[in-house]
Amino acid sequence: MGGGAGVKVSLNWLKRYVDIEEDPATLAHDLTMFGLNVESVEVCGGEYTDVVFGRVLECGRHPDADKLSVCTVDAGTGTPLNIVCGAPNVRAGLSVAVAVQGAVLKGGFKIKKTKLRGVVSEGMICSEIELGIGDDAGGIIELDMELEPGASLDGRLGSSDVILDIEVTPNRPDQLSHFGIAREIAALYMRELREPELFDLETGYDFPIETEDDSDCSRYSAAFVGDINIGPSPKWMRDLLISAGVKPIYNIVDVTNFVLLEMGQPLHAFDRDKLGRDGIFIRRGRSGESMYTLDDIEREVGEDVLLITDGETPVGVAGVMGGRDSEITGSTKRVLIESAWFDPRAVRRSSRELKLDTEASYRFEREGDPGITVRALMRVCRLIADIGAGKPEKLHADYLADRELIEPRTITLRTKQANRLIGTRLGADDLVELLSRLQLISVEDGKDINVTVPTFRRDITEEVDLIEEVARLYGYENIGREEGRCSSLFSEVSIVDMRNEELCDRLAARGFAEVITTSFMDPGDPGSFEWGESDPRSRHVEISNPLTVAQSALRTSLLPGMLRVIRRNAPVERDGIRIFELAKVFLQREEGRGLPREELHLTALFTRRSAPLQWHGEQRDFDFFDMTGEAESVLEWLGATKDLVMERIKASEPDFLFEWILKNRPAGNCGMIPGRVLARFDIDTRVYYFDLLIDVFPPGRSGRKSYIRISQYPAVKRDLSVLAPERVTFSDVRNVVKKRAKHLESVRLFDYYRGDRLGERKRSYAFRMTFRSMEGTLDDETVDRTIDKVLAALQNELQVTLRSE
Amino acid sequence: MSEEIPDRESIDRIGEEASRDITEASELETLERARIVWLGRKGRLTSALRSIGKLPEDQRPVVGGMINEWKEKLGVLFDNRCAELSGSCREEEPCPGDATLPGRRNWEGGLHILHRVIRNIKEIFYRMGYSIVEGPDVELDYYNFEALNFPADHPSRDLQDTFYVNRDILLRTQTSPVQVRFMEKNEPPLRIISPGRVYRNETPDPSHAAEFFQIEGLYVDKNVSLADLLNDITWFIHQFFGPDARVRFRPHFFPFTEPRAEVDMTCFGCKGEGCSICQKTGWIEIMGAGMVHPNVFKCAGYNPDSVTGFAFGMGIERIAMLKYGVDDIRRFLGNDMRFLEQFWNKTWVGVQE
Repeated sequence: MGGGAGVKVSLNWLKRYVDIEEDPATLAHDLTMFGLNVESVEVCGGEYTDVVFGRVLECGRHPDADKLSVCTVDAGTGTPLNIVCGAPNVRAGLSVAVAVQGAVLKGGFKIKKTKLRGVVSEGMICSEIELGIGDDAGGIIELDMELEPGASLDGRLGSSDVILDIEVTPNRPDQLSHFGIAREIAALYMRELREPELFDLETGYDFPIETEDDSDCSRYSAAFVGDINIGPSPKWMRDLLISAGVKPIYNIVDVTNFVLLEMGQPLHAFDRDKLGRDGIFIRRGRSGESMYTLDDIEREVGEDVLLITDGETPVGVAGVMGGRDSEITGSTKRVLIESAWFDPRAVRRSSRELKLDTEASYRFEREGDPGITVRALMRVCRLIADIGAGKPEKLHADYLADRELIEPRTITLRTKQANRLIGTRLGADDLVELLSRLQLISVEDGKDINVTVPTFRRDITEEVDLIEEVARLYGYENIGREEGRCSSLFSEVSIVDMRNEELCDRLAARGFAEVITTSFMDPGDPGSFEWGESDPRSRHVEISNPLTVAQSALRTSLLPGMLRVIRRNAPVERDGIRIFELAKVFLQREEGRGLPREELHLTALFTRRSAPLQWHGEQRDFDFFDMTGEAESVLEWLGATKDLVMERIKASEPDFLFEWILKNRPAGNCGMIPGRVLARFDIDTRVYYFDLLIDVFPPGRSGRKSYIRISQYPAVKRDLSVLAPERVTFSDVRNVVKKRAKHLESVRLFDYYRGDRLGERKRSYAFRMTFRSMEGTLDDETVDRTIDKVLAALQNELQVTLRSE
Repeated sequence: MSEEIPDRESIDRIGEEASRDITEASELETLERARIVWLGRKGRLTSALRSIGKLPEDQRPVVGGMINEWKEKLGVLFDNRCAELSGSCREEEPCPGDATLPGRRNWEGGLHILHRVIRNIKEIFYRMGYSIVEGPDVELDYYNFEALNFPADHPSRDLQDTFYVNRDILLRTQTSPVQVRFMEKNEPPLRIISPGRVYRNETPDPSHAAEFFQIEGLYVDKNVSLADLLNDITWFIHQFFGPDARVRFRPHFFPFTEPRAEVDMTCFGCKGEGCSICQKTGWIEIMGAGMVHPNVFKCAGYNPDSVTGFAFGMGIERIAMLKYGVDDIRRFLGNDMRFLEQFWNKTWVGVQE
């Protein structure tokens, strides 16, 4: 418990104060939605798989280790298991709990066959600690039940419990205890909260308690117990302490820890007979002063450390840790139990100064409840009396510097403001009802209510704090879900729409003019393009009542309409045209019935000059590679280049038309529109085009899935000039290079030549390869070896050779 | 060549000789040669450093330090001389004679004006919580008319206005069918806009086109009211046309909404004074709108008692024409470059300057 920003609570413990019928997962969810974030739910004790009843058949010394025994154990597995055991109490004939292979013990410890000092061990004979049912690590459990060897011990050992690890925000120290959490659960489920039983203490014990500075310690209460009888605590208390992660020691210490975990109030028990003077004086340390704390460390306790003294000698560090010399021992007869409220800043200072964090300091630093000190004493005295650890005195001492500290606050909550902020339509009576669940007692005052805030809710200081409590009790899950209320509704991202918009922007930025052409087409257009009968573009949808014959078909391609745009813009006069359109075409379904297929196409056309007339150099016409360069750029952006293949359309001979195939699906086509087709559209300049079926490419996540690390080492560049047979394309060459060359960053072709000079049907490619490694600067030899490999592969796979001249 | 064993004097000698060589080099080439001779991988200082091992151990750090000092010093000398020499003979004038000569340009490109208007409208509604949904251009008669509460004898169903493929299939005359399709597949609450092309069988003239673009919106929830409609529309108009635009709603008729409203805004040509754009009225019609008719909800499978909603629609060309004073609707699909390129240079077509 404590330590980090959370609290570990035991479900069994919580059930002492409130009924909990919900299963742990439901409870965890409900608490989380109620503002108590449950970080983990751990089921412990009681449930074991592969922990079975076993009997020790033989037990002998380990040949190589004095403290280990080698046992044969009947665990119902047929042949007895060989198990090495370190417990002093292991002996033949004993009934034990055996964790066999596959068992998972506390802390995720897995049992498997292993060797201990050279002897095979096939399991483990368990102690309480390993099973998480006790704190006795001294020896193995000696079972007093009679079962068949191999019988599962699931549910037969210890008490099962569920531990909830709850995140507690710094403003809610009242939740740092089982009762505090139970109070929230009672409010959440609207159940009765059972207060712990108290001892009837009365004030008036004549015992001097003084402070050097009231602002360091505003309240110090003390109870007195005589007839101390040191011994172990009862099992129920030890079980709960263990569940909450605290090691039981002996009764007097255990009860103070118990009350800390139960009510959140740190207590400390002093051996009253070891206080030099019968009185308490709280003061700052003095320079050069030192004392031994409970952990047996001598600590310098200077001016930044707040001390509990017996008038002179320090007996404890206030709110952090007690002193060694006043510690309870077996011979203690009388104790003084301290229950105080220290200034959070003073405790934090002490804790920092001494580099000492404890359960106590954790709570004091968060400003606990000043009103609880005496109640905590009443509780601890009740427990002491009940378990027979001592005899509490009837009277107690209480030093209170300022009464106001423990007066409940009253805050006015305006109903209208609460509704305004939360968005509810609650009445004042609703608010009273809701708040009462958290022991916030209120009375209606017209439309508003006056709320009395108990001292344990130090965090509630103004109206808005109460409004938050109202919202929490009303249920965040219910806010805005009332019947008859409009919903908050937000835009959904349309990836397709975003992709299309970005694509258009990209082309526009690359110098394309966007056009929007008619959805209609001339039924004669497919013929003009010479699309064959099997070409889907030849099966158009016909309008039964068209405006004109030339508008009586729906377009099956953007090309005819776009060619007409070129025609209309008189390319010669215009000097150069580069246009695109992203739009639908309409294709008749095979069966010819129903709605046509609407396919989104990106089509781009290029004609005449590649750049405007200017003084820097010669103007040239668009060529084939201007077109493919733009297409490559779009395809790369679409993330499609990897699986894309470009092939000449077979039927297109002698024309220059090519097709892209993406995983066996047509993805588009491109090329030079044949002159005779253009003539039919009255165009006499060369027109290049590409036409992509945008729907084929996945709209999202086409880019990188994750970032690729960038090498900090320099690149090595190598140029190769190779001679290839006519049938070998550059993409063949590039694929081989990419496959073979380790550390290759890029391949760029910088020269291409095809001609007689090279001999019959040969071509030469010169390309630059860039190599770079993530691990270091590549040396010449490594790169040379790679080049050799590449050349060998080019030779073997493609009959491509190094150019010698 | 036997390597000389370096001592302090020989190091200084080498260093001084090297500095002379570097500072006296008169061309970049001689300078580079000097660098190789003295500082290169096989240069004299480097080899001196390499043979340092031959010295007695106690002298090595001293001599090594001297060599490194010289290397550093010579490096600086080299860099300085290099900069001097390249400065005097390398740097050419980057813009001979005239820096105002036109820069090197590529063809410019840009989006179609209709696309930009659609985008700006989409953007505004998108930010208001509307999602973008599209549907087919070729549509079933059912979605285009029947499900939208168009009675069989409604003039819009007349063959004059609609392009038919056959008895059941037509080119959508409005983008509203998208809304019906969307409602069929989704439960309320929903808030969508659907931009797209629509078709009317009308003989084109300067103010009528057989195909044009529309954007329609739909909002359905438990308690959507006419007040919400007026709010959203007014916000849109202020965003798109500027905060000065005044908006008015007047009763009108559309079969699929009731109550319904025609939305007018102050003419942006005359700001309400009356001009040729608004035909002297000071107001221009901008869109039609209304509360979704219960019959439409029934067709979509919604219970008209548990949900309400509004719908609105506007023509894109009309807005662009009004905004830019375009005199002929046929310009938009005409794609004359001289028309298109006029609209390339601004990012936002909506709000008036």
